[in-house]
Amino acid sequence: MKKKANLKPILYIGPHLLLFIVFICLPTVYGIYASFTKWNLIGEPQWVGLDNYKTLLFDRSSTFHFQFTNGLKNTLLYVVLMVPLLIVIPLLISVALENKKIRFKSVFQGILYIPGLVSISAAALIWSLMFHSKLGIANNLFGLNISWASQQPFAWFLVIIVSLWGGIGGNMIIYRAAIAGISPDLYESAEIDGASSFRKFLNITLPSIKFPLIYTLVMTTAGCFNVFAQPLMMTKGGPKQSTHVLMMYIRTLAFGHGESIAGMASAMAVLLGLIILVISGFQYYVMNKNTD
Amino acid sequence: MKKNGAISKWLAYIFLSVLCVIWIVPIIFGLMTSFRSQSEVVSSGFRLLPVDWIVDNYIAILENTSTAPILQWLVNSLFIAVSHTILVVMVVSLTAYGYSRLRFKYRDQLFFLLLGISMFPGVVNLIPSYKIIETFGWVNSPLAMIIPGLAGMGNIFLVRQFMKGIPKEFDESARVDGAGEFTIYSRIILPMIKPVLIVTGLFSFTGSWNDFLWPVIVYSDVEKMPITAGLLLLQDIYGNYRMIGQLMGSAFLAIIPTMLLFLFAQKYFVQSMNLNAGVKG
Amino acid sequence: MNLKKWIRLSIITLSASLLLSGCGKKEDPNTIVFWNPLTGDDGAYMDNMVKAYNKTEPEFPVKSVVTSDMYTKIYTVLNSKKDVPDLTLIHADRVPGFVKADMLEPMTKVLKDKKEIKESNYLPQAWSAGEVENVQYTVPLDIHSSAMYYNKDLLKKYGVEHFLDDDVVTFDEMMSLKGKLDEGDYLVNNALLSWVILAEVINLNGDIQKDGQPAVNTPEMKQALESIKKIVEAGLMTPNGEDGYLMFQSGNVLFSTDGTWTSTAHDEVDGLNYGVTNIYAYSPDKFTNRASSHMFSMLKNEARTDEKEKGIAEFLEYVRENSIEWAKAGQIVASKEVVESPEFKDYKQSYFTSNEKELDSLHIFTYEYYPYIQEALDTYGLDIIYGDTSIEEGLATMQKFVEDKIAEGDNGG
Repeated sequence: MKKKANLKPILYIGPHLLLFIVFICLPTVYGIYASFTKWNLIGEPQWVGLDNYKTLLFDRSSTFHFQFTNGLKNTLLYVVLMVPLLIVIPLLISVALENKKIRFKSVFQGILYIPGLVSISAAALIWSLMFHSKLGIANNLFGLNISWASQQPFAWFLVIIVSLWGGIGGNMIIYRAAIAGISPDLYESAEIDGASSFRKFLNITLPSIKFPLIYTLVMTTAGCFNVFAQPLMMTKGGPKQSTHVLMMYIRTLAFGHGESIAGMASAMAVLLGLIILVISGFQYYVMNKNTD
Repeated sequence: MKKNGAISKWLAYIFLSVLCVIWIVPIIFGLMTSFRSQSEVVSSGFRLLPVDWIVDNYIAILENTSTAPILQWLVNSLFIAVSHTILVVMVVSLTAYGYSRLRFKYRDQLFFLLLGISMFPGVVNLIPSYKIIETFGWVNSPLAMIIPGLAGMGNIFLVRQFMKGIPKEFDESARVDGAGEFTIYSRIILPMIKPVLIVTGLFSFTGSWNDFLWPVIVYSDVEKMPITAGLLLLQDIYGNYRMIGQLMGSAFLAIIPTMLLFLFAQKYFVQSMNLNAGVKG
Repeated sequence: MNLKKWIRLSIITLSASLLLSGCGKKEDPNTIVFWNPLTGDDGAYMDNMVKAYNKTEPEFPVKSVVTSDMYTKIYTVLNSKKDVPDLTLIHADRVPGFVKADMLEPMTKVLKDKKEIKESNYLPQAWSAGEVENVQYTVPLDIHSSAMYYNKDLLKKYGVEHFLDDDVVTFDEMMSLKGKLDEGDYLVNNALLSWVILAEVINLNGDIQKDGQPAVNTPEMKQALESIKKIVEAGLMTPNGEDGYLMFQSGNVLFSTDGTWTSTAHDEVDGLNYGVTNIYAYSPDKFTNRASSHMFSMLKNEARTDEKEKGIAEFLEYVRENSIEWAKAGQIVASKEVVESPEFKDYKQSYFTSNEKELDSLHIFTYEYYPYIQEALDTYGLDIIYGDTSIEEGLATMQKFVEDKIAEGDNGG
């Protein structure tokens, strides 16, 4: 009997655990190992101990230190701007769509989801054209004369709008599924008590979708930390590298022109991973505190 | 109270409409650009609709069957997506069940350890990942797109969160009725989280458009590529575009299958999770 | 949710995918696997050449594989030493680094096998860019260079067609239009700016290295940046962050400094009455067009037999004789036989092979750390010329940028 109890979980989590070890754990461990080396991706990595980390964290004169701090600063800014938007907007949409009197729900939903399916290079091109100073809608329609990609805060605006455009769909359908699962009885009894829509949202909807909220918060944050395609394509990191995010530096170091500097890139990636870990762990802890 | 409802209804309409207008203009603009000639794309001033409708871009895309067989790519993608999705839903639901419903030592610790490891950005992991794939002989094979993706933690995290929301009483009453673990998983929990599983399936079907590197590394055979890898041959990710209309055309051709799936699936993921479903065992 | 159905379905798909993958890896051992980074239409032209070659029924047919991120892929296969391609098309600026990391097989046997594959049959700079310490590592396909396109109608409108008389538009000529352009019109765009800056450095008799050390912070680089910055300050250059390339196509820019290959896209624009000339310079006596080259190379691979190398030689010889198709991609073909043929004259880029002076203007950098220098210019160039960073600070930062990268990248491979 006891033996059986020990074996049972293996049946459920075992297959995935195996896949995880092979396809995620091994490569990650290797990536962490690489961060303690000098490596050009071709030869054998050369062990250098903590050198890469020392350079990144403490050597103020080093280009890599600048890239790390500047990249991290911009990435954090992106996270701070994007995460609330990527949570609140989809949440508002889902609540609005849940209103029983609203019609054409699937039309609204479809329009908001479809941009997420467009490949990022096409999305970036669409928005670049829309904000092109001569050919675009922004300047022509509103009579502005702005070079969007080369001035702040407009450059950030471009990065944010293209990220939002393609990014809200995922969280939206998670909230839709979660809100649909709330028992209608709860709302009915609240209505009998004369609760306003806002009260119902606060007292019924939010607590009921707490778990999906934790999930979306943690995963959205991690996703935003990994951003690189949107700024790369909208602003190329400019002006003055003010939208140059950490992942862009990491990728150029590892796979850019010239000899690869993969050890340093790995060290940056590991530090980024640690930051993501701490922040998402904190989010999870705070959000989850009240239940378990 | 009635008045209250009317106000919130109109607020909802206004909010949704404004958002949808902002969201749909770029789609229309992009789609319309695929019906424009290069000359028109670069002519000054903004117009939503083409002056001269042309289909040359689409002809060019579809005609290039040697270096860019886009229809073949769509078929390949469909195969990969369907098999990946089925496996994902199976693996994810089974694993999430294990981490939320079963009791074993260090269960949550193990879960969060895996989640934590998966948070590390995998840039230089590309080389070891490739070596692993090669050991299995999966280079140029759809398996390289189907299997490693099953190891991801995101969907398991999501489904586990939903499962935790289901009261324990359901399992317990079933257990009292003499149901085994697998029966509880397949007959009670699975039906209840169907909408989330559909969401999961949709996500894995949609695939990751931002993963530029992996599909490129895995495939060297144009005929066998999925559309994600294929599009990169048409669309320079570094923005070095030349034929704008063709780029747009290929992007919109590529979303057709997923869009159809979404339109089909959206009926299901908003189904009530029906926590009152019978505990019939 | 019917579980049995699910299981059945997944078994079917799994077995189907196993079947598919099973028949995936059967490659004829006699096939020359040829990787190239030629996406889009360029890939199609290359494909046409390869197809035509395979029609001659060679013993070793060629299979062209287009890869959008080829260098990343090269790293992965070289690292695992499996599935290394037989033939690879790489850019000239990769050659020194690849040779140093011991990634390339010399072309010695190929050259021995086909006597016509020799220096005198190719454009000299394309050939010599593949030579490191007297060993030939590559055979060139083309030269792709910066070029300056001009809008004929706009030149006429402003009465400056005489700029082109001596084939070189000079800084002084450009500055003479200060304040004379209509609103919305610009003299020149900033496309491929880093290539332009490098060309000016050469025009000033500067270099990017000194005794093997990178030299970014030099008087010549400083002067080049100052001159271009003056064009910006005179309001003659398209604004920072604008797609100046599209603005040229839409007829708002007199001169566009991009590459020979973009003529194919310019041709698509009806009513764009354009021509091609050299990148602007200080004087007609010395002008430079920064260029690179697509070169055939063989990555180290023990599985490649001598017979196969003969097959590769056969193919390269075919390309040498028959690469006029490649001119369609807007590139300057490297084979003299092709470049000197009458058909090549029909292509816009033949401008750069029309006389000795033009040929000499094509400059390929062969300095080992060139890629880092271009990366530095790509990162800081725009900020400097648009005045967001001072020239002195920019130069010092770029110098340090390159030195740091070299120090970190150097692990002897």
